[in-house]
Amino acid sequence: MKLELNGKEYFTGQDITVQRLIDELELDLKSTAVAVNKAIVPKSSYPAFVLNENDKIDLVTIAPGG
Amino acid sequence: MEERKEKIKIKDNNNSKINNGLKNNTDKEVSGDVLKIGKYIFKSRLLIGTGKYPDFETMKDAASASGSEIITVAVRRIDFNSKENLLSYIDLDKYILLPNTAGCYTAEDAVNTLRLARELEVFKTDLVKLEVIGDQKTLYPDNEELLKAAKILVKEGFTVMPYMMDDPVLAKKLEDIGCPVVMPLASPIGSGLGIRNPYNIKIIKETVSVPVIVDAGVGTASDACKTMELGVDGILINTAIAGAGNPVGMASAMKNAVEAGRLSYLSGRIPMKLYAQASTQMEGIVF
Repeated sequence: MKLELNGKEYFTGQDITVQRLIDELELDLKSTAVAVNKAIVPKSSYPAFVLNENDKIDLVTIAPGG
Repeated sequence: MEERKEKIKIKDNNNSKINNGLKNNTDKEVSGDVLKIGKYIFKSRLLIGTGKYPDFETMKDAASASGSEIITVAVRRIDFNSKENLLSYIDLDKYILLPNTAGCYTAEDAVNTLRLARELEVFKTDLVKLEVIGDQKTLYPDNEELLKAAKILVKEGFTVMPYMMDDPVLAKKLEDIGCPVVMPLASPIGSGLGIRNPYNIKIIKETVSVPVIVDAGVGTASDACKTMELGVDGILINTAIAGAGNPVGMASAMKNAVEAGRLSYLSGRIPMKLYAQASTQMEGIVF
């Protein structure tokens, strides 16, 4: 299925959860936060949160700033 | 000068030997002189940003040289093309990371950015730097949106550190809604113009009882020193260090300047006089 990941198209399996997406991308859980369709997903919901076709996912972390 | 005299007078009531300054105050006041932000206590009065360094290694060394305990970072989409990770250059046992809301133009965006940040375990405290920009050219904050966002965030349990105009009225409002610190700008972000309105900064300091951290505009070490001599509680610096010819050297200079300025303020400068006053006694002169 197609997702929009950080503004770009991303293809992955059906019914993937946020947790599995993070695992698939090999992201560090401690330094990653997730929003789906601009709604923040709490960390405790990752394993149960199933993504849908065309969902807009924002995966964020820290970046340089003042 | 009159203002200064008044200040000394006020201090005299508390400590009749204020003019002997350091001798009497070092042990008690100066060595125990800490920066309190809400429930957090810091020894260093210099906070630094992580933006605009030539590379992460330099940022790491500059942070170390600055002696800072709080360093600011932004919250951004993961760049999957980037090979380097900022986090691998930051010792989380040594520094408290302060998420900012740089680039946010509405209260809603700023609040959501910090709610998102709260999900990041690298942020070990509820301290946040709130900035809501109102104008692209000056990067001046939007007062209305700032207050709106601050109210929401305070309610949600964040320890809000608001970047604000050098406006005493606004400072009071932010204090009243529960910000445990206010952070007026010295001059526009990244401008290096130093303090454009030292009188307002002084008025802010006298208006609020929470600490005042000057955020943005400091250009060089003498600016930092002069700012601290006004009696403010700390300074947040990014560009002046990151953009210096030698950022690590400048970080060290800023550390010393902030410490010197603080000590100078606590010690009480002499009043300015128009004419000379000999420092050598005339008594016993031969010729």
